[in-house]
Amino acid sequence: MTELSTLLERRSDLWRGAQPLHRADGLATGFAALDAALAGGWPAGAVTELLSAGPGGGALELLAPALARLSAQRRWIALVQPPFAPYAPGLGATGIALERLLLVRNEQPGQALWALEQCLGSGNCSAALGWPGGLSGKALRRLQLAAAEGRCHGFLFRPVAAARESSPAALRLAVRRTAGGLEADILKRRGGWPQYQLRISQPESAEARPCAGQRPGAAEPPPRL
Amino acid sequence: MRGPAPRRRRTAAAPIASGMRWLAIHLPALPLEVFAPAADGAPVALVEPRRGVPRIRLCNRQALAGGAAPGMGPAAARALLPHLQLVRRRPAREREALEGLANWALQFSSQVTPVPPRSLLLEASGSRRLFGGDGPLFAAVRGQLEPLGHQCTLVQAATPLGALLLAREGQDLQLTGLDGLRQALHPLPLERIPLPRQARQALHGMGLACLGELLRLPRAGLRQRLGAGPLDWLDRLLGRIPDPQPVFQPAPRFERGLDLLCESRQTQALLFAAKRLLAELGGFLQARELGAQTLHWRLGQGAAGATELRLGLLRPERRPEHFMALLRERLEGLTLEAPVRDLALRAEGLGPLPGASLDLFEGPDAQPGDRLLERLRMRLGERAVSGLQWAADHRPERASRRAPPQDPQQTPAAAPLAGPPRPLWLLPRPQRLETLRGRPCLHGPLTLGLERERIETGWWDGQEIRRDYFEARTRDGERLWIYRQVAPPRQWFLHGYFG
Repeated sequence: MTELSTLLERRSDLWRGAQPLHRADGLATGFAALDAALAGGWPAGAVTELLSAGPGGGALELLAPALARLSAQRRWIALVQPPFAPYAPGLGATGIALERLLLVRNEQPGQALWALEQCLGSGNCSAALGWPGGLSGKALRRLQLAAAEGRCHGFLFRPVAAARESSPAALRLAVRRTAGGLEADILKRRGGWPQYQLRISQPESAEARPCAGQRPGAAEPPPRL
Repeated sequence: MRGPAPRRRRTAAAPIASGMRWLAIHLPALPLEVFAPAADGAPVALVEPRRGVPRIRLCNRQALAGGAAPGMGPAAARALLPHLQLVRRRPAREREALEGLANWALQFSSQVTPVPPRSLLLEASGSRRLFGGDGPLFAAVRGQLEPLGHQCTLVQAATPLGALLLAREGQDLQLTGLDGLRQALHPLPLERIPLPRQARQALHGMGLACLGELLRLPRAGLRQRLGAGPLDWLDRLLGRIPDPQPVFQPAPRFERGLDLLCESRQTQALLFAAKRLLAELGGFLQARELGAQTLHWRLGQGAAGATELRLGLLRPERRPEHFMALLRERLEGLTLEAPVRDLALRAEGLGPLPGASLDLFEGPDAQPGDRLLERLRMRLGERAVSGLQWAADHRPERASRRAPPQDPQQTPAAAPLAGPPRPLWLLPRPQRLETLRGRPCLHGPLTLGLERERIETGWWDGQEIRRDYFEARTRDGERLWIYRQVAPPRQWFLHGYFG
């Protein structure tokens, strides 16, 4: 048995379930608990699916510290067909350099996936964010390939119901808000089992943000409802 | 010509000819090639009347493989190949094609001469140095012509006439000096020389068959037999007297057309044809150190009219591959009502290439992101791609606006100071919220945050707002940004989402 395990350890192409698999190329998420669970952060050159209740469900907030870090690169962060207008003051406050944002909007159906694939594969984007409704496994595989080619982080924002479909994405995360902050279920990750109800504290930047109550104009107590 | 006298004469003329190297490009199948090649490789033959009887003059590879051959009657060829497509010569298109190729050839030499009907002549001494010898130059020329569907024979020789004459023989040659040229010319049959018929008959009567035998005759006798004109021609052929060539002056603008062999509405077939026009445009632009910013394509559809496409670029560009990629994007998103019969290309907005001096340090692509932007715009429209900007306005709906995309090479400006929390998404128009016993509701009653932010501004331009903003949570945990109007009727509105 000892001989067998020494033999196995010699092999660099073999991963054994007991070892933690740490990726060197991961992008730190900005949340310690999530970084640990994802063994290094958001996977590079791959597509990550973020499932959440809706536009206010916390998925973009979860991603914001990582995007802020990516905006230091001299590449764009593409938002392809976002559901609403991205709001400059809000995004800017998270530390994302607005100059890096590239908004792609198109009314024709079917073009959003094409545009997303172009952004992922071009090499000119450090991240490409998409909000596809339905998505076939084939389309997702194409996006996955494009992301690898363009060394781009792909993030797909999808409804919670999409958890029922199988997916070739490298990472799938269901995000929700609870009273204590964000909470995530890791539905799929490379080199690890699913993990549920992972508590993610607020990122440091959000805690340090001055809140409205400290400003003189907002000293009034909230109205009685 | 082995005698001492001509040898002396040759040395006298040598300085004129020896510095020059002429490259003749002969295109034997040009009359057939003026039709855009069919991408699917259908057999095609060109028919021309010979002594009043139509005969096949040229066949493409597929037709030859099927058994058709030059000289055959069209009916016989059709019997062998029922799908054989027969076309007639289009002399005007041939002239245009030769001129187009002269444009293309300007990338190899500044001195290009189209020699109708089917040859081009290039002064190649400079290009040989540039390409590092004849071999690489030939490979470069052939490597560009063949993908465009052109067969060619390349001969490099010391005199223009020598190069042209030998190129028509169909074999590539690289001849050094006048001696090499002379040796190569010797076995040529006399029929290849443009002589008056009487002179040719006289030479045949003397039992002469090839050029070598003719050149061995004493010069004085030749002058008597042939006259001054042919003798002058021979002197130019052999480099004894200079033979200046008219220099091709490219037109100031680029406008070219091409007939499609088979009508088509398939993107692939159209791209295949467009490739040739773009290669010619590339040569035209390269010779002038220019780029084009707008390409106008006209897809002629016979009686159904024409489809016009305008491809605008961010900045002048020259590379055919780039134009090609843009055209592909555009064609893929296009539905053609009728099949296309001919293509025409017009280039506009000619101007110097930007950033050309940067190439040395920054690689061939100084603005790599441009290509992504162009591809997106080409398919989705000009307004589909934008950037995002802060605006100094306290009204939330005016604090964010779309802007032209920023160059990612620039260093971003410092972010403005953090203020009260702001959502990541803003609704295009605030959405009215229902209230239930005074509490705002969205899929159930909302839980309000403790802080209130009053925004009261905009009185100066009539777009005044007076609102109390709150953070709120739905039962599902979504974080919202909502407000209540300060003035009656004090309604509640949803204005944004916190990501």
